[in-house]
Amino acid sequence: MNLKDALCGESARRLLICLVGAVIVAVMWGPQQGSPDDYGHGFKQAVLDPRIFVFLGLGVLMFVLAPRTAQLKARLALPGSGLFGAAAAGVALARTLLHWYDPVGDGKFAAASRAATSGLADVYFGWLYVVTWLLVVGVGLVAILRRSRALASVGALAALAAAELTTVAHADLVSTSRGIDHSYGADATVVAYVGVAISLVYSGWTGRRSSIRDKALDLQARYPGVLIAAMALFLATASVGFATWFSPGRLNARLWTSADLFDGTGISALAAVMQRGGLAASLVVAAAVGALGIYRSSTSLRIAAAGLSVLGGALTLFTAHAMGQIGVDNGVDGATSPWANLGTGPWFALLGFLLLAVAAASPWIGRSSSNAARGRSRAASATAASRMSVTPTLLAGLVVAIVLPHVFTEYWQQVLVTQIGVYVLLAVGLNVVVGWTGLLDLGFIAFYAIGSYTTAFLVGSLPVHPPFGIHLTPLAAIPVAIGACIVAGVALGAPTLRLRGDYLAIVTLGFGEIIRIVAINNPGNITNSTRGPETPVPHPEINVGILDLKWGTDPLQYWYLLLAILAIVVFLFTRLERSSLGRAWAAVREDEVAAKACGVDATRAKLLAFAIGASTSGLAGVFFASQVGYFNPDNFLLLNSILVLAYVVFGGMGSMKGVIVGAAFLTWLPEFLKDQVPADDRQMWIGAVLLFMMIFRPSGLIPERRHTVELTHTDNRQAVTAATASESEGS
Amino acid sequence: MDYVHQLPDYLVLGLTRGSMYALIAIGYTLVYGVLQLINFAHSEVFMSGAFGSFLAVDALAPHVGSTAGATAVFLVGILAGAGTGSCIAFMLERVAYRPLRQRGAPKVAFLISAIGASFFLSQVAGKLFNRLSNNSFPEYFDVNHVAFTIAGAEVRVIQLIIVASALALMVGLDALVNRTKLGRSVRAVAEDAPMAALLGINIDRTVSRTFIIGGALAGAAGFLFGTAFAFSNMMGFQPGIKAFAAAVLGGIGNIRGAMIGGVTLGLVEALIPPLPGVGIQWTDVVAFGVLVAVLVFRPTGILGERLGRVA
Repeated sequence: MNLKDALCGESARRLLICLVGAVIVAVMWGPQQGSPDDYGHGFKQAVLDPRIFVFLGLGVLMFVLAPRTAQLKARLALPGSGLFGAAAAGVALARTLLHWYDPVGDGKFAAASRAATSGLADVYFGWLYVVTWLLVVGVGLVAILRRSRALASVGALAALAAAELTTVAHADLVSTSRGIDHSYGADATVVAYVGVAISLVYSGWTGRRSSIRDKALDLQARYPGVLIAAMALFLATASVGFATWFSPGRLNARLWTSADLFDGTGISALAAVMQRGGLAASLVVAAAVGALGIYRSSTSLRIAAAGLSVLGGALTLFTAHAMGQIGVDNGVDGATSPWANLGTGPWFALLGFLLLAVAAASPWIGRSSSNAARGRSRAASATAASRMSVTPTLLAGLVVAIVLPHVFTEYWQQVLVTQIGVYVLLAVGLNVVVGWTGLLDLGFIAFYAIGSYTTAFLVGSLPVHPPFGIHLTPLAAIPVAIGACIVAGVALGAPTLRLRGDYLAIVTLGFGEIIRIVAINNPGNITNSTRGPETPVPHPEINVGILDLKWGTDPLQYWYLLLAILAIVVFLFTRLERSSLGRAWAAVREDEVAAKACGVDATRAKLLAFAIGASTSGLAGVFFASQVGYFNPDNFLLLNSILVLAYVVFGGMGSMKGVIVGAAFLTWLPEFLKDQVPADDRQMWIGAVLLFMMIFRPSGLIPERRHTVELTHTDNRQAVTAATASESEGS
Repeated sequence: MDYVHQLPDYLVLGLTRGSMYALIAIGYTLVYGVLQLINFAHSEVFMSGAFGSFLAVDALAPHVGSTAGATAVFLVGILAGAGTGSCIAFMLERVAYRPLRQRGAPKVAFLISAIGASFFLSQVAGKLFNRLSNNSFPEYFDVNHVAFTIAGAEVRVIQLIIVASALALMVGLDALVNRTKLGRSVRAVAEDAPMAALLGINIDRTVSRTFIIGGALAGAAGFLFGTAFAFSNMMGFQPGIKAFAAAVLGGIGNIRGAMIGGVTLGLVEALIPPLPGVGIQWTDVVAFGVLVAVLVFRPTGILGERLGRVA
């Protein structure tokens, strides 16, 4: 081989790519920033520092491993190896990424180890953590590779011991150092170690070369609800046993210890019994009845278990409320609400009980794909799943969405409402336009602005007041705001919808910019320029008959309002997708000319899609305006329109689940990155995530299935096989 | 009457701005021609040109003593800008476009990967250099020196340079696309890619080179823009959108259309807002309004689309 071949060969090119990639990662990684005086500063720090050799080494490693991935995959495809790898990595990630102890410094692991000065915590955060991790991973690795049952059981026990050690050490740290702690590093580590244990048990006791996933789905098909039940049981046991139930200021009392704490405070007898093992007993009873019901698929036992679980949930709430009320009565921490002083325990316990109820009742909730798979053919199951009826999974998700935000810190509750929730709603709306109808809309945020400004106008917060002394509450402004958005949407759509995709993109982009600039330029003093509303837009209230609801400043109240709006919108949209209009949208998206030839009124379908999308955006705008009170044109930048589009495509265009998950993930990501990278670098990482997602999974996180089923394949059986294949590949 | 007196000034301003838009718009149009995709990261290629040429000019500028020296530095700057632009555009195509093409991704996926690349590039530039909004090139010649006065309008050196360089680059490009073998293959791919492949044209290579050409023009435009005004890691956004609008206005996929669209948009932005009763704060509204109006009556832009057809 001569020199030229060596330099221009395929492997030389790959090496070059790997090394360039390594340099790019080196530039991205780390806190270094450029400086105005020395333009090469950032680059020098990133690339000329000795650490570059680590990155180059990784690049060379990639170069060596990349051609052998298929081989490696085949060799590593042992029972339990996937979950084991993920869980072991999960432990390590929980250490680097999550908070461990909030009161000190940045709250990361290193800060926790500095805070831990005595006892077990000192040892654990000092060196024991690494040692246990290495031990568990080492034993586990050998056990999985050699398929040794003895080693696997040792490893599983070690993993469980490590989990317990983590809990105890973290509790030790919290109780000695004192201070409010909202960190989840220890909890995540525990979950990951339990995952390690499960994978090892599986690896030791299974004979076939099947994956845990298949096994779990098989179990789920034989015993509906068993997976949710297992999760619920884990949650409830952990929270009743270990979590903090009562935490005013500097105290972190578990359920058991809180019993002594409340001795003689006049707490109700029932609550006292619950503290002293009552809740644990009801959990055991509910779990036992549920397990028996699920195992023998006995209807009466399942009903009993569901009832017992709901009762357990109610008792949990009652006990927690009683404890909190005592706290309020005694003025602990200046609490005004009985829910203020509670730890995470009651909420996780409630979640566990409710999920247990869902699991027990799962045969009667909708027709999930696994249910259907039991009696009927797989084809029937695929169609049932694609209809997205109410499934146990959906209901479980709803329960989580209702209960879980209670354990978030106030900051994250705020993020949940103003970022995640609102943008999920926007993405669901844009999905109608982009995902289902295939129209590229880059000015979606304009309708959001119109909704916000219409609300501000109708409630009298803008300099120009509505005529005839009209003065509406924000929720009463919803129909008007939606109407305004529909009018705007049709006014924009009617002349421009005959334009093809890319032309439409620039026109909608222009529309979005025009709306924003009009709001800034303030013709006729309508919008009050860059200052936004003069007086805050009032918070929403409902006052109909006996129903009297007022929203204040608590983000959770808004979360429930938003959840209700989202549930209605998602329900309506899934119905719409399956209606004749939904089919018309799909037809227009796939081939407009053919659709027209088949008698589809393409213009009407497109206009309706535009109007429906716009009204969703407007609805989000109403919510936004009445939640924040003050807003200004800077809330409606072109960047936001682009981001919403990115959420939709990232999640999976046209797939409702995908869009919701995608939007939630991408709005959560910047908040999460806040802890990990310099604030200015967040957008860079998000850009990289978008790029990677599109390169490796261009159809999004959870691709739309209807598309594949109906349009890619003509033979129905083949189509269903493809759909199930893509489903199993998908998650 | 004031307006009439200042009309020549506005015209000069509009031509300058328009030729800048045209240079960037050509990049959008070229890529659209061969791939039928909007290259949303093109604005970052423009930005990279400014930073790349800055490194070169910054190193050379202190040694400038004469007009000839300044001219040389200017030429080096424009070459460095074009070189950086084409490098970035080449890598962009490799990373953000080619893998998606090989997977047959839906069209919107390209848009999102380009947006991701755009976020990435602008922030990496910010991380490497700085995130100030007003970096400026070292002064090696007086950019605001009045070169001559025509019909009462003062024409500054930089305006002259921008229009002249843009003109030269565009004439060169026109020749490249219409006279050379590379140009012929670009046109062939734009006209009918599968057919071009059948006739032995390497599609991947042609697409790659199309990105390089567009990137070179955008990089040069980045240098000119930075010299005339200021540069920053976020400088691409606004001109990028305007240039995209200009490309659509002229008929996307059509090179001469992009030139005409760019100049038209520049003139519209310079001439209409100063009219009595309009106001400078409505510039963007006017620009997009004209765009929408043109598209409503001519849905494929002024000259119509397609790269292959017009040449």
